Amino acid sequence: MSFLKKLFGTLAQKPWEENQVVIDNTHSGRSFNLSNQMSAVIIIFGVSTAIFSLIFTGYLYSLPPEQDTTFILKTTLVWVNTLVLVMVTFFFNKISSDLKKNLTNKIKKNLIYVGALSYLFLFLQLLLWYQLMKSGNFVDTNTYFSSFYIFTTLHGIHLLGGLFFWGKVSSRIFKLDEKDYANEEKNINALSLYWLFLFIVWIVFFAIMFIYNDAVIAWCKSLIA
Amino acid sequence: MSEDLNNNKTIQAQSSETISGGGSGISPDIDYVRPAEIPEQDLYHGHSFITKWVFCQDAKVIGIQYFLLATFTGIIGLILSWLMRLQLGFPGLAGFMTAEHYYQFVTMHGMIMVVYFLTALFLGGFGNYLIPLMVGARDMVFPYLNMVSFWSFFVAVGVLLASFFVPGGPTGAGWTLYPPQTILEGTPGHGMGILLMCISLILFVAGFTMGGLNYLITVLQARTRGMTLMRMPLTVWGIFTATVLAMLAFPALLVGALMMTLDNILGTSFFMPTILKAGEVLEYGGGSPILFQHLFWFFGHPEVYIVALPAFGIISDLISVHSRKNIFGYRMMVWAIVGIGALSFFVWAHHMYVSGMNPWFGFFFATTTLIIAVPTAMKVYNWILTLWRGNIRMNVVMLWCLGFIVTFVNGGITGIFLGNVTVDVPLSDTYFVIAHFHMVMGIAPLMVIMGAVYHWFPLVSGKFLDEKLGKWHFWLTFLGAYSIYFPMHYLGFIGVPRRYFEMYDSPYMTSAVGMNEFISLAAFIVGAAQFILIYNIVKTLKIGKPAGHNPWKANSLEWLTPTVPPEHGNWGERLPVVHRWPYDFSVPGVKEDFVTQTTAPSEIAGSKVEKT
Repeated sequence: MSFLKKLFGTLAQKPWEENQVVIDNTHSGRSFNLSNQMSAVIIIFGVSTAIFSLIFTGYLYSLPPEQDTTFILKTTLVWVNTLVLVMVTFFFNKISSDLKKNLTNKIKKNLIYVGALSYLFLFLQLLLWYQLMKSGNFVDTNTYFSSFYIFTTLHGIHLLGGLFFWGKVSSRIFKLDEKDYANEEKNINALSLYWLFLFIVWIVFFAIMFIYNDAVIAWCKSLIA
Repeated sequence: MSEDLNNNKTIQAQSSETISGGGSGISPDIDYVRPAEIPEQDLYHGHSFITKWVFCQDAKVIGIQYFLLATFTGIIGLILSWLMRLQLGFPGLAGFMTAEHYYQFVTMHGMIMVVYFLTALFLGGFGNYLIPLMVGARDMVFPYLNMVSFWSFFVAVGVLLASFFVPGGPTGAGWTLYPPQTILEGTPGHGMGILLMCISLILFVAGFTMGGLNYLITVLQARTRGMTLMRMPLTVWGIFTATVLAMLAFPALLVGALMMTLDNILGTSFFMPTILKAGEVLEYGGGSPILFQHLFWFFGHPEVYIVALPAFGIISDLISVHSRKNIFGYRMMVWAIVGIGALSFFVWAHHMYVSGMNPWFGFFFATTTLIIAVPTAMKVYNWILTLWRGNIRMNVVMLWCLGFIVTFVNGGITGIFLGNVTVDVPLSDTYFVIAHFHMVMGIAPLMVIMGAVYHWFPLVSGKFLDEKLGKWHFWLTFLGAYSIYFPMHYLGFIGVPRRYFEMYDSPYMTSAVGMNEFISLAAFIVGAAQFILIYNIVKTLKIGKPAGHNPWKANSLEWLTPTVPPEHGNWGERLPVVHRWPYDFSVPGVKEDFVTQTTAPSEIAGSKVEKT
C-alpha cells in the first residue's frame, strides 16, 4: 500500500511549479535505493513470474478430468529435490549474514555448498525424468506430464542461468582479498534473491502439480472414507 | 524503497527555507543541485570497425542497428503486401501465386510488421537511441547485454526469413497462428515453417527481455541529477511503460510458441483436442485450442499498446517542440500512458468474441475496451489543445504529427465499433477489421516513425533531411493510405471476408471488384512513396544541409550534447544537471522561445518560467 501511495505521490508532482522545482533540483537521479544487479534480478522475477504463472494457468485451464498421475506419487525424489532447494536457500541466507560479519572463510565454504547442492538438484531432476520415462510417462503421455516436463525444464534452465552467474561471482570472490569482499556484496545479495525466487517458484509448482492433482485428491478422499 | 519519495520530507524542509529566503522565488539557492552520487560508468569504447559498428556496446549504434534491421524486415513486409494486393486487385495476374502462397504472404506480412518492424523499431530503435540521451545517462546500464539483445534480434530475423527457403515454405496459418490448423497437414508450412516461426519468436522475446531490462533500469536508476520521473520527456514515459507491458506480455507469446513447438515436434497436446481426420483419430487429445487464443491475445492486445505508447510519447514531444508550446496537461498525459498500459491487460478477449466464450465474458471485455478509450481520448484532446494558439511551424515533422492525429482518431473510432460485441460479431473477419487495425496500429504509428525520423535525423547525422522531398513523401503516404483504408471499411460492411485468396464470382460482392483494383493501385503507390525517404536519407548524408546544435530549439537533453552527433558516453567530461521539465516553450519574460532543461533558474531571473 505504501508503495502505491508513494507511486501516486510521484505521479501527482507538478514539475512546472516553483516549489516543486526546488525539490526536484535536489534529486539524485535514482528512483530506488537498490544496486543495478538487484534491480535486474527483481525485473527477471517479474518476467519469470509471468512465464511460470501462464504455464500454471494453462495447466489448470486444460486439466483433463481423467488422467493417470499416480506414478508421480510413488517417487520420493520430488520431496528430496524440494529438501535440496530448502538447503540451498538456507546456505544463501547464511552467506548474507556472514557477509555482514565479514566471515570470509565461511562465505567461501557456503558458496561451494550452494553450487554443489544446485548441481545435485539438477542431477536429481534428471534422475526423476529417467524414473518417469522408465515407468512409461513421457512428455506426450497426457497434459499433466507435458506440463510437468515443460515446467521442470524451464525451472532447470532458470537454475542454470543462476549457476552461470554463481560461477562468475564465486571465481571473483576466491581471487579477492578479504577487505574487497564488500564490493561483491551487491552481487551476492542479488544471487541470494535469485535463488530465493527459484525456491518460491518450486514450492508453487510443488503445491499445484504434486499436491493438487486427481491422484492426490482421490488419495485424500480414500483416507477420509 | 523509492529514494525520490523517502527524501521528500527533508527536501520539503530545504525547499521551504529556500523559497522564504528568496522573496520572488528566484534566488541563488534555487540553482542548488546535490553532488553526484551515481558512480561514473565504465564504458567499453570500440577501436576497430568490428567493435565500433558491428559488435558495438554504444546504445546509439545499437539503436541504429535495430532501426536498419527493422526497416529491412519492414520492406520485406511491404513487398509481401504488394503481392497480396496484386492478387486481390488483379486475380491471376501474378501467375506464380497459389492460394498457399497467398496465405503464407498474409501470415508473414502480419507477423513481420507487428513484431519485427514496429516493436523492434519503437523499442529497439528509438528506445536505445533516445533513453540514455534523454535521461542524461552515458549509456544503458548493461551495455554488453544490450549488444547481445540486438544480435538475438538479428538471429531471430534470420531464422524467420530462413522459413522462406525450407521445404513447405513459411507458415500460412495467419499471423495469429491459431492451432490446431497451424500444425496440421493441409496448412502451408505446417512442418518446418511454423517451427522456424516459433523458434524465431522465442529468440525475439529472449533478446527483447535483455534489452527491456536495460531500458527499465536505465530509466529508473541511471538518470542524471535533477531528472525526476516527472521531468522526463513523454517519449521516455511512453517507451518505459511500453517496455513494462512487453516484459509482462511477451512471456505469453513465449509460452504459446514453446507449447506449440512441443505439440508440433514431440506430440504433446497443449492446444490439440481429439481430432478425427479422414475417418482416423489422430494421436492428439485433451488440449485446448482456445487456450492458445487466450495466450496469444494476452500478448496480442498489450502488443498494440507496446507499439502505441512510444508513438504517443514521441508525438507529444514533436507537437510541443514544433508548436512552441508546453504540452497541454503533462501530468494527465503521464497518467494516461500509465493507465492505458495497465488497462491493456484487461481487454484481450475482445479479439475472441466469436470464439464461443461465455457471453458474460464478452460483456466484461466490451466494458473494459470502452473504458480504455477514455485515457486515449484524453491524449487526443491534449494534443489538439497543445496545438491551439501555438506558434505552429508547418514543417514536415508537423505534417506527420497532424496526419497521425487524424489517422489515429479514425482508427480509434472504428475500434469503439468493434469493441462492442453486437457490432463486432457481424463485422468479425471482414475487411472492416483490416481497415481498423491498419489505420490505428499500422499507418498511425508509421506516421509517428516518419515524424520522428525527420525530427531526430539532424541529431543522428548532423544534417537536415530535404523538406521538399519530405512533403512529397508525406502527402503521397497520407492520401494514399486513406485511399487504401477508407474503401476497406465499405468492403467490410458489404461482408467481404478477410484472408480469402479470391472472391471468385460472388454475386453479392460485385461492387468490391472495382474497389479492390483501386485499393491495390493505391497500395502500390504508397509503398513506392516510402522509397522517397530512403532516397532523401542517402542524398542528405551526401550533400545535406548542416543542422548544427539543437536546430529545432528544443529543450530536452538529447539536443544538448557537446558534439553532434553525440559521441560514445554522450556528455563529454561532465554529466548534465537538470533544472526543469522539457516543456518550457514561449515563456513570458525569456528572450528566446525555449528554455533548455539544463538552464539554471538564475539564468532567466524575472521570467515566469516556474509558473507555466
